[in-house]
Amino acid sequence: MPARRDIESILIIGSGPIVIGQACEFDYSGNQAVRALREEGYRVILVNPNPATVMTTPGLADAIYMDPLTVPYLDRILEREKPDALLPTMGGQTALNLTIDLAEAGVIEKHGVKVLGAPIESIRIAEDRGKFKEVIAGIGLESPHSAFISKVSEGHAFVSEVGLPVIIRPSYTLGGKGGSIAETRDEFEELLKWALAESPVHTALVEESLLGWKEFELEVMRDTFDNAVVVCSIENIDGMGIHTGDSITVAPIQTLSDREYQEMRTAAIEILRAVGVDCGGSNVQFATHPETGRMVVIEMNPRVSRSSALASKATGFPIARCAARLAVDFTLDEVINDITGQTVSCFEPSLDYTAVKIPRFELEKFPQGYASLGTAMKSVGESLAIGRTYLSALNKAIRAAEIGFEGIEDLDLDEEELWSMAAKLHPRRIFATYSLLKRLGRENIDRISRLTGYDRWGLHELAELADLEHEIEAAGAGGSRAVGSARAAGTPGAAGTGNALLPLDLLFRAKRQGISDRRIAKLIGAEPRDIEDLRIEQRMHACYHFVDTCSGEFAARTPYFYSAYGEIDEGAPLGERGVIILGSGPNRIGQGLEFDTCCTLSSMAYRDLDRATVMVNSNPETVSTDFNVSDRLYLEPLSAEDVKEIMRKEGARDVVVQLGGQTALNMAEELESAGARIVGTPVKRIHDAEDRGLFYNVMRRIGLDQPQSAMAPSRAEVERLAGEIGYPVLLRPSYVLGGRSMGIAYTPEELREFLERGIEASEARPVLVDQFLEDAFEYDLDALSDGENVYVGGIMQHIEAAGIHSGDSACVFPPYKVDRTALTKMKEAAAAIARELGVVGFLNIQFAVQGGTVYVLEVNPRASRTVPYLSKSSGVNLVEVAVKIWQGFDLNMQGLVTPETEVLPGVAEGHCAVGWAVKEAVFSFDRFPNIDPLLGPEMRSTGEAIGIGGTFGEAFAKATSSAGSELPTGGRVFVSIHDSDKETMLPIVRELAELGFEITATRGTADFLFRNGIFSEVMLKVHEGHPNVVDHLEAGRIDLVINTPLGRFTQRDDDYIRIQALRHRVPYTTTTSAAEAALEGIKYLKRGEVSAEPLPAPS
Amino acid sequence: MQSACLFLADGSVFPGISFGAPPFRLDDLVPGEERPKGAGEVVFNTAMSGYHEVLTDPSYTGQIVTMTYPHIGNYGTTNEWSETGPEPGTDRPGVKVAGFVLRSLYEGPVGPGRRPLPEFLAAQGTPGITDVDTRGLTLHLRDEGSVSGVIVEAPEGFERWRPQETIPEEFRSRVMAFLAAFPEMEGRNLVGEVGTTAEEVINPEGSPHIALLDCGVKGNIVRELVGRGAKVSVWPSAAEPGDILGEGPDAVVVSNGPGDPAVLGYQIESVQRLMSEKPTLGICLGHQLISEAVGAKTYKMKFGHHGVNHPVRDEQSGHVFVTSQNHGFAVEEASLPENVTVWLKNANDGSIEGIKLSDRPVMSAQFHPEAAPGPRDARWIFDEFMELVRSASASTSATGS
Repeated sequence: MPARRDIESILIIGSGPIVIGQACEFDYSGNQAVRALREEGYRVILVNPNPATVMTTPGLADAIYMDPLTVPYLDRILEREKPDALLPTMGGQTALNLTIDLAEAGVIEKHGVKVLGAPIESIRIAEDRGKFKEVIAGIGLESPHSAFISKVSEGHAFVSEVGLPVIIRPSYTLGGKGGSIAETRDEFEELLKWALAESPVHTALVEESLLGWKEFELEVMRDTFDNAVVVCSIENIDGMGIHTGDSITVAPIQTLSDREYQEMRTAAIEILRAVGVDCGGSNVQFATHPETGRMVVIEMNPRVSRSSALASKATGFPIARCAARLAVDFTLDEVINDITGQTVSCFEPSLDYTAVKIPRFELEKFPQGYASLGTAMKSVGESLAIGRTYLSALNKAIRAAEIGFEGIEDLDLDEEELWSMAAKLHPRRIFATYSLLKRLGRENIDRISRLTGYDRWGLHELAELADLEHEIEAAGAGGSRAVGSARAAGTPGAAGTGNALLPLDLLFRAKRQGISDRRIAKLIGAEPRDIEDLRIEQRMHACYHFVDTCSGEFAARTPYFYSAYGEIDEGAPLGERGVIILGSGPNRIGQGLEFDTCCTLSSMAYRDLDRATVMVNSNPETVSTDFNVSDRLYLEPLSAEDVKEIMRKEGARDVVVQLGGQTALNMAEELESAGARIVGTPVKRIHDAEDRGLFYNVMRRIGLDQPQSAMAPSRAEVERLAGEIGYPVLLRPSYVLGGRSMGIAYTPEELREFLERGIEASEARPVLVDQFLEDAFEYDLDALSDGENVYVGGIMQHIEAAGIHSGDSACVFPPYKVDRTALTKMKEAAAAIARELGVVGFLNIQFAVQGGTVYVLEVNPRASRTVPYLSKSSGVNLVEVAVKIWQGFDLNMQGLVTPETEVLPGVAEGHCAVGWAVKEAVFSFDRFPNIDPLLGPEMRSTGEAIGIGGTFGEAFAKATSSAGSELPTGGRVFVSIHDSDKETMLPIVRELAELGFEITATRGTADFLFRNGIFSEVMLKVHEGHPNVVDHLEAGRIDLVINTPLGRFTQRDDDYIRIQALRHRVPYTTTTSAAEAALEGIKYLKRGEVSAEPLPAPS
Repeated sequence: MQSACLFLADGSVFPGISFGAPPFRLDDLVPGEERPKGAGEVVFNTAMSGYHEVLTDPSYTGQIVTMTYPHIGNYGTTNEWSETGPEPGTDRPGVKVAGFVLRSLYEGPVGPGRRPLPEFLAAQGTPGITDVDTRGLTLHLRDEGSVSGVIVEAPEGFERWRPQETIPEEFRSRVMAFLAAFPEMEGRNLVGEVGTTAEEVINPEGSPHIALLDCGVKGNIVRELVGRGAKVSVWPSAAEPGDILGEGPDAVVVSNGPGDPAVLGYQIESVQRLMSEKPTLGICLGHQLISEAVGAKTYKMKFGHHGVNHPVRDEQSGHVFVTSQNHGFAVEEASLPENVTVWLKNANDGSIEGIKLSDRPVMSAQFHPEAAPGPRDARWIFDEFMELVRSASASTSATGS
């Protein structure tokens, strides 16, 4: 069937800011959909207020809106753009929920928009577990025994019938949010009450516990002509009880017989038909009883999902791209598979490898939040690896997850601890299991299987690995004395068929199972370099296979690779034409989508300049791992060993390390020593900037102020230096990532408390003790340098108080109310640092301004997380500029720094092209209900939202809304103001009162306000007793918080208020400028205007 | 761990580790001597599950099958899944493939009532080889076409990671001499080695009565027919058509089977006679025999279709469904006579997947509507055939009265 011609323009709704359960997979799917539909000649309009995304890059869609995903804004955009159709299946649950809201508000009908993909009714069925169950029963399939509960008493009646444990899930939530297991009656009652409150429709599904059952997922594609195929089957290594997003998974299904699998396949397709998903990709989840084989249907998502992104990368079948084409009535046999270029999309993918996904948890950030996993997703990212065997894929995926393991490794814990870890849904359970198998042998497979629910197949594979590792260890023990002599001999002759270091057959088998050189070295007590040298000597290198969707039946034309050992090597090298771009690996707090966007945009820019790009990344959610983005795609771990093998394979030496965050940067030295030419800033200078001691000297040399700082090689020194510098102090280890392990101490007691949280202080890993600049304002500056001239992309002012991690602070571009002299000083500093460090490419600097003094807080010689946001706001694609610099086009040639544009000698500056752009941080605290994550110098946010507007107020109001809370247009404002802010704050509070807000305040503030003619209700501070401000927040009696920092003694009070405000989605401001912004925002809202402007088209 | 090699007639060698029945030793290889196991045409199958069904599918007789999916054996084996047809006097769960080539054999524990794959193959006298670069082998077969091969115990001093250097020239040339004399699949008549040797009646009380010409029928074809209520008389493919018709069946099914259809002159003639009198369904080899019977030609494909993911389009309705396939020969479209309608086509390569006669109630499918292994999307073909049989017998009885 040809594409629909009754529609010309299509609106795609994005998924908004990244939260746990909804990450960059929707940038990937949205981006594919936009491209596929534009290729078919449709005008594509996109709405997504997430500035970090690739899809919102100007030029990629015909019109891009970054307004809040709410009914009024969508109404306005539909009014303005008059699209013929709406595609709601690309933006996750957010887009589906918004589409239902639009339908209920009559907006869809009003604008006569057709809903493509999943009709409203099918979305309702799939989301409403009760209705879904009815549909399942209607086609003769089984669901878990369950009941749809809206009262606690009904819940108790149900439990009396089916027994405990049961699972409780609120209806209509993201990624299983709020789903939990109740083991006792008391737990049940508590959890049910909570679930009823969580659910927007105040209903919950209570169902029999399938804990320990095997869990499977099928990715199904269906077209409007009722043809259907299963693109990928996935088996969860962690069975039922752990959210699939938190499970280790393997594709394809490993342990089902063909009969069982075909039964599931047929059921999945029938479910799509019954639910009424017209076309597109859907994910169907099943559970089977490990002994009886009873199969039940768990759920289905009538849209592309995290699993479909995973399935796309695991099979090479571009689900979202295909789904977009099916949405405009193409049929599966009309859509050609891009990988083979010769098979049609109804040719079901066949894999000749296994693909293993490992979740990445933030154990360091939320240590208490991970004691046990459950039915609510808690991981923030994932890595995918492909290998010819399960073990090779598993080892690579773990290495790629960057969680401090080289692959599967045994843990140095006593047996009892290992058993107890294996018995729990612990995030490191697989390691505990492996340790037990390695220590106690494979006779324990049955026992472990019963305990963990791991299938015996996977345990047997682990036992095989344990045997192999024992063999390696034994060889190492036998040959340990020979290590030195083998090194000394160093001739090819020393190797031969047997080697003093390690028998070659053993090395060959180890590499075939994906064991890294580092791990082998550790097992035999050698240096990784020894293993690498031996492999080079023996020409034992990785070979690469195509991911071709067809197990080799047809020649693939799209070079999407994974590594293997001792097999055929496919694909010819690119040679020096190639440039290797190192991605950023799995998402984590502090390193996520922003970096992937930089990598993707750089590949596009390089290709425009006729370079061939080689992308290396292990994160299956991303756009960068879309095989269309680069000339070559390697789904491989971002470790030096793996990258070196890729360099060798491709014969390419240029490596870009500035765009993949800290992961890529950390490899620079090792790659350079292996012959890589690191693109841009020289490695030595990167090192200077990264090493705080060296950096301090550089700053001193060029005369820039830094907060007082000292390096402490021991705990005692930390305390002594803190006393010398003076409290409060900021504490951090030498190498940092997104603020990990940083802390502020106001007192020696707090300092000791911080050090006791497992912080190492040694000669090798000293702790940095910095003066903490209280009441300062912070700024972020992103710049590009060609080595001489400097282009400052923009300076962003943090709206929140200093001391909160830059990634967690709202910021505004251009800076709001600022001292021009300070801005000039920052630009001067940027130029001086760029020139002193010899930066070629990106430079990010964080400043603090305190009492007219500009301090340099931190310098990152790489693209920062604000680059995509700044690019969109300023209308200058900074990544493209960087790539051009690297290809020899200096800033002058690019017309960015010219005598006309210079603001300082050799320095030019970008300007906000959209009026005002506010970036607001977005948190996922609701995933960790039992912990109090205090905001501070450790980054905690998972994503960001943008607000764009003609006024600061409009931008602020939109950013607040897109981040998940709404500024109030009436109600009660809580005010607590620091003495020094009182005069500036007074007119703001007065205006709020005049706008009709009730004012409540702390006693001191209330007195001050009263003296100035403003009446307010007095509320207690947290430490003053009950009911205090937090109680009122919890009771929903406060609609806006204005709380400017009150000094060191109340820092914790402030944090507590902020956390509660975040939990209850109450807007919260900590500075006078933020309060003013909120006031402006409120005034904008009260005017009742709903304005939506697309991003300016690229020049 | 015994090293072994898969040698191909074109000189390529794929090293691995032996399992199942022991491989040939060099001295076992006598040029010109045919071997039911250990040597055969090497083909690849892209199904990710269903290895037991593949092993027991009689159509694979004379073929060494390499599974492209690496992990095989994970869920064990059981006679319940056997596809071997009703052959009296033979071991029912008989493994039909001549050899099994894998990347990674599972040797761990399997569920209750199931038997580990290596044990099953050993008991069935079938050699296997694992740890093979099956990807390399598959690409080789794809590019060069299917070729004869033999699994041989590795010579002394053999090292898996450098096979070329460690196989003595004399060893290699003796293996090559054996393979050079090994019969090619084109022109090979293998139906004599499979299928029932005497008439077998299944579900004798059932109706309609279907006569099945057994060229190596898969068990699930019989199960699908019986499941729809039919009485099935399974006849040896060498049976007299007169004997078959003499029992007054309502319809005929011509089964799948191994080898080259063009050389099955006797069966082609039988099919001509049977389908001129009874509604007929042909499956796989049966489809090719029907095509030959109407005067069309078959040809040897480069490497055939062996997998469970091939899309087939119904040329009338435009619907597409995913099918289980296992064939190395296909019907030439240009050779089809006028009374033949192309019913189904491969949505991928356009090859013929099914035909219907415009003047007779005859239909045939190149793929396996009975699945096993593979998707069940095409089971409606049996429904459609039963419908055809019912309406044909209704019209016959109407004419009769």
